[in-house]
Amino acid sequence: MDSASAPFDSALFPEGTKRCQLRWFIVWLGILHGPLMVGVLAAVMCWGLALNVTYLNNNFPFGLWIAADLGVIALGAGAFFTGFLRYVVKIDELKNIVNYAVVIGVVCYAAAQGILGVDIGQPLRGWFIFWHANVHSMLTEVAFCITCYFMVLCIEYLPLILENRQINKLGFFHGMAHHLHEAMPTIAAIGVFLSFFHQGSLGGVPGVLYGRPFAFREGFLVWPWTFFLFILSAIACGPCFTILITWITERFARKQLVKRNVFDILAKISGRLLALYLVLKTMDTIYWIAVAGKAGAPFRSFYTNQPYGYWVLVMELGILGVIPMIILLNKRARQNENLLILACILNCSGIFMNRWIMTVQSLAVPVMSFDKFVSYHPNWVEYASTLMFVWVGVIVISISYRYLPIFPQEKELNPL
Amino acid sequence: MKEAHHGEGDTKTYRYGMVVNLDKCTGCGACMVACMAENNLPFRKDNSDRLRSQLWMRVYKISNGQPFPDADISYIPRPCQHCEGKDHHHATPCVSVCPATATDYSHETGIVSQIYTRCFGCRYCMAACPYHVRVFNWWDPVWPKGMKNYLNPDVSVRMRGVVEKCSFCYHRLQRARNKAYAEERRELHEDEYQTACTQACPAGAITFGDLDDPHHKVYKLKKDPNAFRLLEKLGTNTKVYYVSTRDWVRKAAHAYTGKNQGIMPG
Amino acid sequence: MKLDRRTFIEVALGFSIGAGTGFMLTPVNWKLMDDMTIWSQELWPRYQLGGLKGKLPQRGEVSNADTVCKLCPGGCGITVRKVEKRATKIEGRDGYPVNDGGICPLGASGLQLLYGPWRTPGPLKRSGKRGSGHFSRISWEEAIHEVVEKLSALRHHGEAHKVAAILDSDRGTVPQLFSRFLQAYGSPNFIRTASDQDTYELTLKLMQGADSSVGYDLEGANFILSFGSGLIEGWGAPVRVIQAHSIWRSGNGTKRAKVVQIEPRLSNTAAKADDWYPIKPGTEGALAMGLAHVIVKESLYDFSFIGSQTFGFEDWSDVTGKTYTGFKRLVMDEYGPANVSKITGLSAKKIVDLARAFAKAERPLAVWGRGKGTTSGSLYECMAVHALNALVGNINKPGGVSTRPEVAMQPWPEVVVDNIAWAGSSMPRADGAGTSRYPLTKYLPDRWPQIVSGSDGGGIKALLVQGADPCFTTMDSAAVAKAFEQIPFVVSFSTFLDETAFNADLVLPNHHYLERWEDVPTPIGLHKPVLGLCKPVVSPQFDTKHVGDVLMTIAKSLGGTVAEAFPWGDYESVLKDTMGEKWDTLEEMGYVAEADYRLSTWGSTFGTPSGKFEFYVSTFDQAGKEISEDVGYLPHYQPIKPEGNAVRYPLILIPTELMRLADGAVGNPPFCTKTMEENELKGNDLFVEVNPKTAAEYGLSEGLHATLTTPKGKGTVLVHLSEGIMPGLIGIPKGLGHTAYDDYLAGKGISANSLMGVVEDPVSGLCATWGIRAKLTRA
Ligand SMILES: Nc1nc2c(c(=O)[nH]1)N[C@H]1C(S)=C(S)[C@@H](COP(=O)(O)OP(=O)(O)OC[C@H]3O[C@@H](n4cnc5c(=O)[nH]c(N)nc54)[C@H](O)[C@@H]3O)O[C@H]1N2
Ligand SMILES: Nc1nc2c(c(=O)[nH]1)N[C@H]1C(S)=C(S)[C@@H](COP(=O)(O)OP(=O)(O)OC[C@H]3O[C@@H](n4cnc5c(=O)[nH]c(N)nc54)[C@H](O)[C@@H]3O)O[C@H]1N2
Ligand code: SF4
Ligand code: SF4
Ligand code: SF4
Ligand code: SF4
Ligand code: SF4
Ligand SMILES: [Mo]
Repeated sequence: MDSASAPFDSALFPEGTKRCQLRWFIVWLGILHGPLMVGVLAAVMCWGLALNVTYLNNNFPFGLWIAADLGVIALGAGAFFTGFLRYVVKIDELKNIVNYAVVIGVVCYAAAQGILGVDIGQPLRGWFIFWHANVHSMLTEVAFCITCYFMVLCIEYLPLILENRQINKLGFFHGMAHHLHEAMPTIAAIGVFLSFFHQGSLGGVPGVLYGRPFAFREGFLVWPWTFFLFILSAIACGPCFTILITWITERFARKQLVKRNVFDILAKISGRLLALYLVLKTMDTIYWIAVAGKAGAPFRSFYTNQPYGYWVLVMELGILGVIPMIILLNKRARQNENLLILACILNCSGIFMNRWIMTVQSLAVPVMSFDKFVSYHPNWVEYASTLMFVWVGVIVISISYRYLPIFPQEKELNPL
Repeated sequence: MKEAHHGEGDTKTYRYGMVVNLDKCTGCGACMVACMAENNLPFRKDNSDRLRSQLWMRVYKISNGQPFPDADISYIPRPCQHCEGKDHHHATPCVSVCPATATDYSHETGIVSQIYTRCFGCRYCMAACPYHVRVFNWWDPVWPKGMKNYLNPDVSVRMRGVVEKCSFCYHRLQRARNKAYAEERRELHEDEYQTACTQACPAGAITFGDLDDPHHKVYKLKKDPNAFRLLEKLGTNTKVYYVSTRDWVRKAAHAYTGKNQGIMPG
Repeated sequence: MKLDRRTFIEVALGFSIGAGTGFMLTPVNWKLMDDMTIWSQELWPRYQLGGLKGKLPQRGEVSNADTVCKLCPGGCGITVRKVEKRATKIEGRDGYPVNDGGICPLGASGLQLLYGPWRTPGPLKRSGKRGSGHFSRISWEEAIHEVVEKLSALRHHGEAHKVAAILDSDRGTVPQLFSRFLQAYGSPNFIRTASDQDTYELTLKLMQGADSSVGYDLEGANFILSFGSGLIEGWGAPVRVIQAHSIWRSGNGTKRAKVVQIEPRLSNTAAKADDWYPIKPGTEGALAMGLAHVIVKESLYDFSFIGSQTFGFEDWSDVTGKTYTGFKRLVMDEYGPANVSKITGLSAKKIVDLARAFAKAERPLAVWGRGKGTTSGSLYECMAVHALNALVGNINKPGGVSTRPEVAMQPWPEVVVDNIAWAGSSMPRADGAGTSRYPLTKYLPDRWPQIVSGSDGGGIKALLVQGADPCFTTMDSAAVAKAFEQIPFVVSFSTFLDETAFNADLVLPNHHYLERWEDVPTPIGLHKPVLGLCKPVVSPQFDTKHVGDVLMTIAKSLGGTVAEAFPWGDYESVLKDTMGEKWDTLEEMGYVAEADYRLSTWGSTFGTPSGKFEFYVSTFDQAGKEISEDVGYLPHYQPIKPEGNAVRYPLILIPTELMRLADGAVGNPPFCTKTMEENELKGNDLFVEVNPKTAAEYGLSEGLHATLTTPKGKGTVLVHLSEGIMPGLIGIPKGLGHTAYDDYLAGKGISANSLMGVVEDPVSGLCATWGIRAKLTRA
């Protein structure tokens, strides 16, 4: 090829792939750093001036940050679940997307931990959660599993780095990458175990709050039903998120990166899990109405204060649940790319709304008869510091896509 | 002097709690101020936002929602309820969720503690408490020039980013213990350990003591036919009882049931 | 070329990966993390407290000191917890005869006032314009010299009577030193700030011939009929009354006493009462007369007392044979339930039932004094309520009403006056009290326009202010401010930089009450003598001096008979001499209470011309007071019209009082302000209370900003809808709207007094204002 037109860093590109000029790539990264810096400013304000710079208050100790945390972790479930299907269930086709699922997972979990780093009032003591761990606390469970699983993700991500065209030339790294590949099923299995656990614990976080009839669920042994519902909802939407991000990446790359039959496998599985989830969630809701009633809080009391009216239920379970389920279950519908993407969007929004409801609405609903209902909405500091991690993610993804062999089918689908 | 530790060595255990007579409570607020003065609570130039200001003792003003002239109001002083919880699954709401063991339920005293230097500000405990007892330090505490002169050395001053709450004036228990110890006594008399709010109340509306000790006033008072606890049905098993001869006030103890009920913030 | 590029990239990658892993393996970052944590736990908090050295707050020797709270007339005994030299907590003093261990929010906040930035740092001389709060520090010598110069100049120009002193009280050695000073100096103008005591003292003078104020045996009563008194809002001696209230409420289930509250608004007192009767404000006098009617009609009154101990109950005729209407005929003719029901808005049935319940109760007691009792009120209204007590014969009875006793003290030597003093003292008072128009009134503190105008003896040239903040506590703030502008020389002795200090030319700060000696006479409303002693528990925190010493230094520098009037070396010796043999007990116990005190019997009680309790006040004639119509000699309902035109101002504004908001001479400390409800204060705006019906009429809703206008002024407020207030009324909390102190208080809300006017009682001349016409419009 003629070196004049070849980008300065073309030597780093995956074998036989085409990438834009380095200067354009740098410009792109530059643009991303704009909003990123606003986020950094917000975070610095939180650390420097304390959390009074947010709209959080004593009635809303949890806000956007915690909802987002629960959200991204659920979305990140695509990583472990695809890994599970690929290495444990051995659906070979998924090797074509599992790499990317891992990258997305890394981003989501990094984001979750980053957000917590801003959210807690004494970030310097964040490590007490390990040092002075209280085994009865769902949050402790979450912390341990998430950290461990994040390490697993990093190990799953490592071979991708090592397979970079140049690094791979170095014998040591080449070998290392090879061995990691050998070990991958085991690693994936560990990851799966950890993930099931912390996805559940996240559900436990609101579920165990028996002082909050809106959030409280009875359950199995120490695990409230939300524990299991969260696992199920996470694996029901994780794959959709993977599809969605891949699809968006293709739009930016202006080329197809993954064959559609791969999407179809994930979509089909997603649809079935979503169906199962909706059934169980409905049962849970009915049972919960009874349990809350026992605690003296009638069902209607949860929905008498706007903005949290009955529409919340309809939205979460109907529009953001049943509709994507139908699309995903129906072969013809999900093979229509637009419908598929719509389903993915609805499904992912559904998960996010569910996490918001389980955290923020749980706190908004008054518990004492003489409590005043107050509503909460985040301020720019909370938005910016949360979105910061989206920009970081895009940057990581951009770099990974440019230099790492993430999409095995790219060469075949886009011959030079 | 060797000082007595948190109950070790004492044969007797206590279940400290309160009974508040709402017929006597005048809503004067002396308990709130006494608590702030005793426990080094900070204040700001504008404290009018209750959602951001710290009160370990908060006196709620509630109304029966009836039109003039049938309207009625009552006050409900609300310290930490020092929930005992039901069982292993229903342990003290806040304690069971704290990931860093920064708050604990003492079975020697029935007091729910809070370690400020341990708390890292995740605020999970606040989400767990249905009584809005726990407050967060949204700011670093700042005292105007000269003001730090009155700070009480028995209570550590909290820093930004941590959660705090009523401790049943734990330091007063320690003081009493040390005194009893010096006099080679194992048991504390009722009047040796009283909380600052109880002591201050001009109406004598608050009674504090060992709920399990037949010799303590609270033992009988809690059995008053008009006695009740807040949100009893949740199973938090609180140790703060209230007494009111007014039905609508007793009704206020139950959970929020939506807008169509009489009781509302006054 | 390509090759270079590759090596470059390889080196770069190798290096970064190496560095990364390297750092993670060193212990540096872990150690760092631990240090940072400790910094967040120990160093940063300490830095926040303003000192990295030494553990803060400082530990040390713990001790307790007993003294008496001076923040209100309640006279509570307090115990101050100290660590070394620091006062760290104020608690109610156990066993103290007034408040046995109890304390109020203000008293519990006392240390914020002691150490706070609102203290007057030392002697100040005004440098900016009046009210600007600009002062320069001067030495005590200079300060005292300035005062002496001014006062001796006035005295030598024969204007001694143009000097006035206004204080919060006329009892105790400090006020007595001031009145002695004026006597020796040559001015009749000793003024006491307004309170319901003014009117009650006059009532007792007129009906019982007593020179004293009122004492209630609240603890002993078992039926309390309160005519708008904020019994648990801070009326009388606040903690003592609240404790009495708890006695009424004790006795499980079956309450010990019945409480009935007459008030147009659901105050805490009204809420706690067994019955709350909202009546049209200002018609309390009519209701009292209406109740008297039923009691007389149904012969439920105390025959032995009325028969043997009263004058003017029945019609009577004098030596000339002229017959006069008695109280009995007046109530029978004028105050039938139907008529009174029309006036008050309370149903005739309720009036009858209430009268019966009151009269038939074992130990009924009618109490008077609106709200916290911070305004003087209507004379005839007070007399009407007092007449109720007479009807049920509870004058000087356990559970009844009596005159307030004082612990006897050593009299001071007579003041020898020179000619100037004699001439000055015999001039009419600037406020008009004691003049032919108001012969029986002692002080008319709210008549600032007259005090400064020069008409009837006014035209004050110098004013001394002690323990009072008239610029904040007097109604019609604008008029007061204008009056102050006309006073050439104002000296404040205030411990705090309050509104009056801001309007002074010199501030000579007195010690804080925790830094000084002072005697505390029987608190208001008590029926037993209690003498308390205020002792220094901490050394003066600022460059202050005891006002007693400062005043005597001034007197001595003035020389002559003025100096001779003060034979004492310093204030402490004044105190010791005055207490006489009681001093030792006082110093040791902190108070003197006569446990064996007995109420005097009826016969010896009444110093009236008739020697009896007078329904018909003959003292008026004796004092040469013009009374236009016959009914004027008897308690009756005399409507006091609120200022303002009913068309322009369709609503009526009434002040409301909160236990958590000090509205007297002492500004609300931060702790108290912090306890205020969300619907009382928000940011810098206060809430006015309006009934939802009224709000609907004027398009107002909860939390809305509105403009409150009265004939006296206007301000921006927030609207709080409350079913607890009578439609047509607006309730505004008293105590906010400070302009002085500092920004923990200043600028929060508006001052109720700035919207209120002074409506004078036709007979006493005292301020009888209970409300003012107003309008409330969306801002
Ligand atoms: N009144 C009283 N005084 C005593 C004793 C007593 O029994 N009673 N016992 C004596 C004895 S034997 C001892 S050993 C000492 C112990 O004295 P201290 O060391 O004071 O022991 P504590 O008061 O239990 O804990 C001190 C502080 O450590 C904080 N803390 C808890 N976890 C952490 C953490 O992870 N990091 C940091 N920096 N702080 C943390 C807690 O908030 C607590 O305020 O006290 C002695 N003095
Ligand atoms: N919850 C909680 N537990 C703690 C701690 C804490 O901070 N909180 N601190 C830990 C620490 S640092 C320590 S040192 C230990 C201390 O725990 P302990 O050693 O139990 O200390 P104390 O409880 O003060 O003393 C134990 C008992 O010994 C008895 N005693 C004291 N002096 C004498 C004596 O001269 N003769 C005899 N026969 N008996 C005596 C008293 O009854 C006293 O209650 O507690 C530990 N446990
Ligand atoms: S101090 Fe007593 S009376 Fe006052 S509010 Fe508190 S509990 Fe009620
Ligand atoms: S009241 Fe709240 S803070 Fe107190 S113990 Fe119960 S849950 Fe914990
Ligand atoms: S905020 Fe502090 S006390 Fe509360 S749960 Fe978190 S760490 Fe525990
Ligand atoms: S018990 Fe102590 S800490 Fe708790 S509210 Fe009362 S004064 Fe405050
Ligand atoms: S009532 Fe008055 S005297 Fe008693 S503590 Fe309160 S302010 Fe002080
Ligand atoms: Mo120890």
